[in-house]
Amino acid sequence: MVETFNDLMLGFSVAFQPQILMYAFGGCIIGTLVGMMPGLGPLAGISLLLPATFGLNPIVAIVLLAGVYYGAMYGGSTTSILMRIPGEAASVMTCVDGYAMTQNGRAGPALAIAAIGSFFAGTVGVIGLMLLAPTLATFALRFGPPEYTALLLMGLFVLAYMSGGSMLKTLAMAIFGLLLGMIGIDIMSGYTRFSFGIVELGDGVGIVSVAVGLFGISEILLTAGNQDTPQVQKPTLRELIPSKEEFRLSAGPIMRGSLLGFMIGIIPGSAHIISSFVSYGIERRMSKHPERFGNGAIEGVAGPESANNAAATGAFVPMLALGIPTSPVTAVMIAAIMIHGISPGPMLIQEQPELFWGFVASMYVGNLVLLILNLPMVGLFVNLLRIPYAYMYPCILAFCILGVYSVSNSIIDVWIMLVMGGVGYVLRKFHYDLAPVALGLVLGPMLELSLRQSLALSGGEYGIFLERPIAMTMFGLGGLLLLLALKPLIFKSKDWRSKVGLEDEAD
Amino acid sequence: MKLKHITFAVFGALAAAGVHAQDAFPSRGVTMIVPFPPGGVADTTGRPTAAIMEKYLKQTVTITNRPGAGGAVGNAAVANAKPDGYTMLMGLSSVSVIPEADKLFNRKPAYTLEQLDPIALISADPMILVVHPSLPVKTVKEVIALAKKNDGELSFSSSGVYGALHMPMEMFMHAAKIKLRHVPTTGGGPAITQLLGGHVTMTAGGPAAISPHVKAGKLRTIVSWGDDRHPNYPDVPTFKESGYDITYYIWAGLFVPHGTPESVTKVLRDAVRKGVADPEFKSQMTKINSPIKYMDAPDFQKYWDADAKRLAAVVKIVGKVGK
Repeated sequence: MVETFNDLMLGFSVAFQPQILMYAFGGCIIGTLVGMMPGLGPLAGISLLLPATFGLNPIVAIVLLAGVYYGAMYGGSTTSILMRIPGEAASVMTCVDGYAMTQNGRAGPALAIAAIGSFFAGTVGVIGLMLLAPTLATFALRFGPPEYTALLLMGLFVLAYMSGGSMLKTLAMAIFGLLLGMIGIDIMSGYTRFSFGIVELGDGVGIVSVAVGLFGISEILLTAGNQDTPQVQKPTLRELIPSKEEFRLSAGPIMRGSLLGFMIGIIPGSAHIISSFVSYGIERRMSKHPERFGNGAIEGVAGPESANNAAATGAFVPMLALGIPTSPVTAVMIAAIMIHGISPGPMLIQEQPELFWGFVASMYVGNLVLLILNLPMVGLFVNLLRIPYAYMYPCILAFCILGVYSVSNSIIDVWIMLVMGGVGYVLRKFHYDLAPVALGLVLGPMLELSLRQSLALSGGEYGIFLERPIAMTMFGLGGLLLLLALKPLIFKSKDWRSKVGLEDEAD
Repeated sequence: MKLKHITFAVFGALAAAGVHAQDAFPSRGVTMIVPFPPGGVADTTGRPTAAIMEKYLKQTVTITNRPGAGGAVGNAAVANAKPDGYTMLMGLSSVSVIPEADKLFNRKPAYTLEQLDPIALISADPMILVVHPSLPVKTVKEVIALAKKNDGELSFSSSGVYGALHMPMEMFMHAAKIKLRHVPTTGGGPAITQLLGGHVTMTAGGPAAISPHVKAGKLRTIVSWGDDRHPNYPDVPTFKESGYDITYYIWAGLFVPHGTPESVTKVLRDAVRKGVADPEFKSQMTKINSPIKYMDAPDFQKYWDADAKRLAAVVKIVGKVGK
């Protein structure tokens, strides 16, 4: 404990050097701006900035990139809440209740709670990273393909709690998402599926362009189709601050979201994306008034936002403790330090204490900077809503196209976004929920990959799922959850579903 | 974003200047397309190369990442670009595999090798076979014996089917007449993660990527696919020494679209030749742990032809195995 404290002091002595502090600050600001660009999320943000770090020293480089990463997570929630445009897959759930809150005139509290939740989750994540990194990392390595499959299947069960509408419609949308996830090169054979000769479709349909289209573009289209122009909001100062009730409701979700997010985040791979979906599902399940979800429940913002920020920090555990790039984001970060001749590995913490502890300390600083930066900005952001729609929406559309294009310089991504915008418009006219599409698209390729990897490992024997204790436990839990979800269907008892009407925004 | 602004600024400035100096290549900025995301081997090799070429071309060399479909998107973009020398490709060895895989599935190839002309080979590194340290094997003979004993039950992870980690393993399996289970992942990092977690038995790894794990005793080196022993791994024998005639290098080289005039390619070749000898470039490449292996266009063409032929043969073997 004393040692950790001393190490942390070393870290702060690094993090408080004026130059590093400046870069941490700069990174957070750039990140926030990048995150607010529709379609540009954390990964795109740090990828675009990576070349600029080559001339810096490794500590500064990683501090800057971490700042951008966090900043983009924060910034992404801003556009989700205000304009229903997710910056990345993890903020899809925030779009649902966050935007509903904006329509109810509660944009300020939603933004404030998102910022506070993210700060809390980020801090929990850093503490976890600091105290438990080596232990957790070794445990996380035990997550092989079968364990991953079990985890993702549990993620699928969350669907049952995701939408307020009819179960049939929810499942239909989830299947639509899963089918979209089938597009692309088959991982086992190299065969290209449903690509229609378009080389770019070989990698499948990107979740970001789909999410921006389904949620953002469809909203613009729906508004344009309204008979009368929607009222421009004129928020007052009092409406910016969350009420006591809202704080009370958010405390639990923030705490649960932080823990859940961190646990999912440390698992190697891209599972952290599902943390916000799972958190949403859990909050809805635990709520006494699940019917409020989808219509502006603050818990639906607090939980997922905390979960995705904690998961973001958790993802650094295997990267720093083992030196392995387990997800695209950490791969870019590792490249940023490798270019300086440091090869991150299991010995990184011992060999480069200044880098590790400086990074940890700068995450504390970065989280604080973002909170200080974002809370006063809530007022400014909310005032964006004063801009008449006739001016704001064309700008948003232009930014969406720019943002989605610049992720991988691909015009195909722009087309996917536009087509999905049309699809989203039609689906919403018919009262379908869109979040299950996003979850399906996120889970589909990951589930297929891990299932087929497991079967490749076992030579086709399904027994592999029963031989591994972690996988077994998770399957058991998942089965239990499924039974609980089926109970009302079997016993025909009235559950909350019958009380819930769909979002009637389409009318 | 920043890069793009610079590109626009440069294009703007040079559009004016270009009118006067149209005859001498390059009269404006040159684009180097990297068919992989930032941070990968192609990117980390491409950036110092672009920087050093700028110095000798006296024009900006801008990197554009065009990732997708294992490099096919970026490779095809250059193959179909205007052959004027203003669009170059930093391609990896996988450039020769993709058209072969296309043939295998009877699909319209995204590009053909004839559409690309080599400029220079920049770097090449052999793959090294690594196993989990809990495995009771230290030599390639023991690995093969173990694989034969557990017929078809050992496994290896790769960066993806037909990828840089898959091809050498197929060569090994074919040469040693053993069967291993193939577990493809989504990249070099995840492939090593699978091995570190003990989920698979072995993998082929790049010398730089495996180095910290080997030093920490988390992975054990067995044998390398090099022609000679690797300078950083003097104790690791090659397949050739062990009696198997297989080699596999993951290399990075510069290409232009076919039909680029010789006067233009000459300028580019000169710039690379001067660049690779520059101490600045050498120190950058040492930092990223990537050995420079320079070959000018004629030699590179021969090297590439031989490599492509070898890889095409492997793709055919895999294709048959898969069916």
